[in-house]
Amino acid sequence: MAAIADKFSRLAALKSARQAIRRPDRASLRAPDQADPLGQLPGAAVAKNHFGEHLAIRNWFSTPEYVEPSRVTLSLLSHTRDESISRKTRAALNDPSKWLFLDTETTGLAGGTGTYAFLVGLGWWDAAGLQVEQFLMRDFTDEYSMLQELATRVKERPVLLTFNGKSFDWPLLENRFKMTRSLAPPKLAAHLDLLHPARALWKLRLGSVRLVELERRVLDARRLGWHREGDVESALIPQHYFDYLRGGPAEPLVGIVRHNQMDLRGLAALFGQINAMLSESPGFLEECESLDLFGLSRFLERRGETSRARSACAQALAIGLPADVRLKAQRELALLAKRHGEYERAAEIWQEMVNHCEDAVHACEQLAIYYERRARDTDRALEYAKLGLAKLVRKHARALHGLREPYREARFARQEKNFRERVARLERKALRPSFPSRHRGAPGVEEPKATRALW
Amino acid sequence: MPLAVRRATHGLARVHEVLDSFASRDCNGEILTAVRHFPAREPQWADFPRWVRSELVTAYAAKGVSRLYTHQAAAAEAVHAGKNVVIVTPTASGKTLCYNLPVLNAVLENSDTRALYLFPTKALAQDQLAELYDLNQRLDHCFGVFTYDGDTPADARKAIREKGHVVLTNPDMLHTGILPHHTRWTRLFENLRYIVLDELHTYRGVFGSHLCNVLRRLRRIARFYGCQPQFICCSATIANPGELALRLLESEVEVLDWNGAPAAEKTFVFYNPPVVNRALGIRRSYINESARVAQEFLKHDLQTIVFSNSRLHTEILLTYLQQANPRLPGKPETVRGYRGGYLPNERGEIERGLREGKIRGVVATSALELGIDVGSLDAVVMAGYPGTIAATWQRAGRAGRRNGSSCAVLVASSALLDQFMVRHPDYFFGRTPEHAFIQPDNLEILVNHLKCAAFELPIAPAEKFGDADLPDLCARLAEAGFLYLAGENYHWTHEAYPADTISLRSVTSDNFVIIDITGQPNVIGEIDFPSALVFVHEKAIYLHGGQQYHVEHLDFKEQKAYVKRVDVDYYTDAVRYTQVRVLEVAETAPGLESEEVNEAVEVKETGPRMARPDALVSPFTSSTSFTSLTSYSCHSHGDVLLRSQVVGFKKIKFFTNETIGDGKLELPENEMHTTSYWITLRRSLLESLPFSISERQSGMFGLLHALESIATLILMCDRHDLGTAIGENPPSPQESVTLSEALHPVLQTHPRDSEFFEPNLYLYDAYPGGIGFSEPLFRAHDLLLQKTRELISSCDCEQGCPSCVGPAGDLAPRAKEAALAILGRLCA
Repeated sequence: MAAIADKFSRLAALKSARQAIRRPDRASLRAPDQADPLGQLPGAAVAKNHFGEHLAIRNWFSTPEYVEPSRVTLSLLSHTRDESISRKTRAALNDPSKWLFLDTETTGLAGGTGTYAFLVGLGWWDAAGLQVEQFLMRDFTDEYSMLQELATRVKERPVLLTFNGKSFDWPLLENRFKMTRSLAPPKLAAHLDLLHPARALWKLRLGSVRLVELERRVLDARRLGWHREGDVESALIPQHYFDYLRGGPAEPLVGIVRHNQMDLRGLAALFGQINAMLSESPGFLEECESLDLFGLSRFLERRGETSRARSACAQALAIGLPADVRLKAQRELALLAKRHGEYERAAEIWQEMVNHCEDAVHACEQLAIYYERRARDTDRALEYAKLGLAKLVRKHARALHGLREPYREARFARQEKNFRERVARLERKALRPSFPSRHRGAPGVEEPKATRALW
Repeated sequence: MPLAVRRATHGLARVHEVLDSFASRDCNGEILTAVRHFPAREPQWADFPRWVRSELVTAYAAKGVSRLYTHQAAAAEAVHAGKNVVIVTPTASGKTLCYNLPVLNAVLENSDTRALYLFPTKALAQDQLAELYDLNQRLDHCFGVFTYDGDTPADARKAIREKGHVVLTNPDMLHTGILPHHTRWTRLFENLRYIVLDELHTYRGVFGSHLCNVLRRLRRIARFYGCQPQFICCSATIANPGELALRLLESEVEVLDWNGAPAAEKTFVFYNPPVVNRALGIRRSYINESARVAQEFLKHDLQTIVFSNSRLHTEILLTYLQQANPRLPGKPETVRGYRGGYLPNERGEIERGLREGKIRGVVATSALELGIDVGSLDAVVMAGYPGTIAATWQRAGRAGRRNGSSCAVLVASSALLDQFMVRHPDYFFGRTPEHAFIQPDNLEILVNHLKCAAFELPIAPAEKFGDADLPDLCARLAEAGFLYLAGENYHWTHEAYPADTISLRSVTSDNFVIIDITGQPNVIGEIDFPSALVFVHEKAIYLHGGQQYHVEHLDFKEQKAYVKRVDVDYYTDAVRYTQVRVLEVAETAPGLESEEVNEAVEVKETGPRMARPDALVSPFTSSTSFTSLTSYSCHSHGDVLLRSQVVGFKKIKFFTNETIGDGKLELPENEMHTTSYWITLRRSLLESLPFSISERQSGMFGLLHALESIATLILMCDRHDLGTAIGENPPSPQESVTLSEALHPVLQTHPRDSEFFEPNLYLYDAYPGGIGFSEPLFRAHDLLLQKTRELISSCDCEQGCPSCVGPAGDLAPRAKEAALAILGRLCA
């Protein structure tokens, strides 16, 4: 027998990858019949249905306050190419009493069939405030009844609002439903995920768009009505739950329940903020930071709202942007102008980029196109094409000091080929005397600084 | 050696011209050690079974298949009858039809039917995809067929899960990507009727043991969705396809091992490069000779494939052949390379070029060995023995024009196995002695897959998972924090995704990453823990892709080795101490009776260490322990504990092999629990030998060197799968001190009284827990000794060479003689 014990002691597969699991102290072990602090949480009660029981925790919060969603916001958020689907989706969306905010706490982030959502938090607008209901699995045996309860809630309010729920929470819950082989995953009328608009709007300014970060720097945490002091660290949540299962302390779980409540309220408040930004509410945009305005412009542009996108972009540039973003914004604004047929305006922006910036390959290319096709000035077009090619080659030579990256190389080769072809074509064109359209200089355009020395 | 030349067709004549030219070079019959002709075989036809739907018959007819070979019909019938089957056929005998026909028929009958095809590599799946696409086109795209692997774009995955009637994947993807996400594959699992396992023979050893557990998980998930899929397997010719299939599938399998496909006339030639120095057993370089042979074929405009065993050799051969066949201006290269690491579209282009005949020659690694369809070529040249008989036949099968003649040439290197093969052609042509073994109940492997299984579905109390004691294992996993018992079932309670950390291609997953820090840090490779100690210890010269690297730092905590590119004229060899402790003897059998039985026993009985043999073998084999006392030797198998430590290294100069320096190292000891087979040489045997102590010892090391090679041959395993050690049969039952080959000169100055040295020669499984080589080796003991003796005695060298007991310089002068003398006392 000793040999067998020996065998097991040597198995790498039995060694936990983390540091040895924290065994709960004897003192903090919950006695089986001792009152569980979870059961004493405000609004907590054991919920029963014919699948079993679980813990349900229900609370009403006065903040965030109910926000009437604007039509513009809804159509921007639920934007789909398929008109028939989007019409149905919009119809469901238009009734905020069918909305359900959802956020889960899980036993891991890996996904797959072995990850459980042990706490499912739901929220809906109620009496000008937010009603929050949370279902907790006190053990894996609670899962069926919890899912059953979730299914009824979703049936009542089939429009889901989440933060990253489209790729994480909801598929995970669908998995859990499928694992039961008896409960079908409930059908959703619509699913709005606020992660993508949030990323589009604030990633530039914040770098990270974690909900906590948004709360702090976008939503004005002081006015929210809750604070994150002593909040559980997200990364520790699975381990707290595993410890609890094995008879460990329940206090960390109380913290998780609170954490989930704040996440749900943050989610609802975030919707209000996005609503304000996307609806054409007067005055609101004036208070926005320039980076947020540029984010907004990019989001609107992606959704096909080009004229609004243009004005937001112009506004952002007017307020002033950091150098790297400025270049991007100029480029975007020029393209937007071009798309609107305002070629001279676009050319002005490109010209400015060429004058004030080292890295203006793109602007040179665009100007070459502009002079060839619009201004019909082949010589000028040729100059810009040559300038662009020279800048491209120089930029690549500089980049070469670093790593040779296959993708960059391929891209460079492609761009270089395009430029060379363009130059060749323009040179042929310039030599043809039958093409005499040589009216020089569109208004306000300086001579390009390209000199022979560059090539 | 004059050849009977039959000049029938054009190609035939050219093949024979080449053979004649080889024969004319071989004046005393030492080079062409075997020339075997295989006559053409007529096809045996059968009609499509009646139950096959007419549209499928029409589709096949449009592809030019209007009749089946008999084995195809039999396979289809067996599948139709609901049996699990394993089809054993050589290359190019139409095996894909054996599974595509019944599977597609079932899909046509009921469009809900789903099938999962598993191929050992991605390239093979791609190849099959092309075939199935073609059929699908002829069937008006009535079914969905997709590959699902790491290269599948994320946006296509959803459609594949829903619409794929036939999904082509590999075991690794099934293990990490499909099973842990089975809820996304509901459509497939609810209707899964067939699982096709192609190239079944590749699932042996560690990989096979893993696959068996993956299949256990797959069947478990299918059961969850109410399905019991049927298995259709295809295997190359090995000795035990039925047994392998039975172990992998753990259910009844019907074996179909005859072949109705036609074959063209074929010649198989063994080519041994001429000897340059007879005394030292040095031959001309087999790489150069292979290039010469291949060039002879190319010169006669015969399409040729050259197989080499390493990437480096592929590149060398390619350089030679491209120089000899310069590309014509404006024309594409006619000789190309083909190995892992080439991009998929480049490979596809080469495959097409071969099929169309534009490419006249290709130099390949084993990447082309498995069923990639490149059509049939005129000649195959193998630079070096591929390692197994089965692989040799498979490579040779690449040659085979329907009409005309083809030729396969095996060019032997001076390695032991190569020399054995070319000098004993009857062994090769006689039959296939290789068995494929797996050990799915290896605890390390089993427990890892049990974790994955629990992640996929909670483990219920009445479940079975192989022969394991499930409740006990689950309880242990719960204790370690991986599982948790809720109600009756064990649930997964860990954040990690277990499949990610388990690689199907090895046992343990703690690998060291090798980072080149010459310029920008760049990961160049991975190495497992035990090998890391040997190959990337500090100051080692690590060879990778033909480039030398100096190991700057080995970081144990982060499991990283930092190396820098260097160009030096030496390599390093780690000096390793290995200790073997026998933990449990499973079985022992006595060797030959000793001649001076009585005397020996008396001596022993008066000796103080009388209790030793009993202690060693008891309590498991007490009945045989007495007989073993009276014989020269005994052999056993059982569990051992291996402790090895790299204590230093030697710098060895290239070409001259002189030691030009050494160093000490302080590295942690590596412990491994594994299974082993060993031969105990009794004192009586050693005392009966007319050699000095050092000669005896050198003889033992030489013998072990030869035994190891022959064992890999018999087991059909890789050289790295077996480890060797010599240890003292324990004076106390516990500890047996062992010294590895690298250290054996130290033996001569061993402080112990060598009178008492009674050695065990260990051949152990080089994987934690063992993967099932020891028992088969124990059973094959007689064959092993007999073949080893044949090998050494038939070697022409005087005092040992790399082809028998090891290079002469490394051993005492009479090592070869001593090894033979020991063998003489071990077998009749």
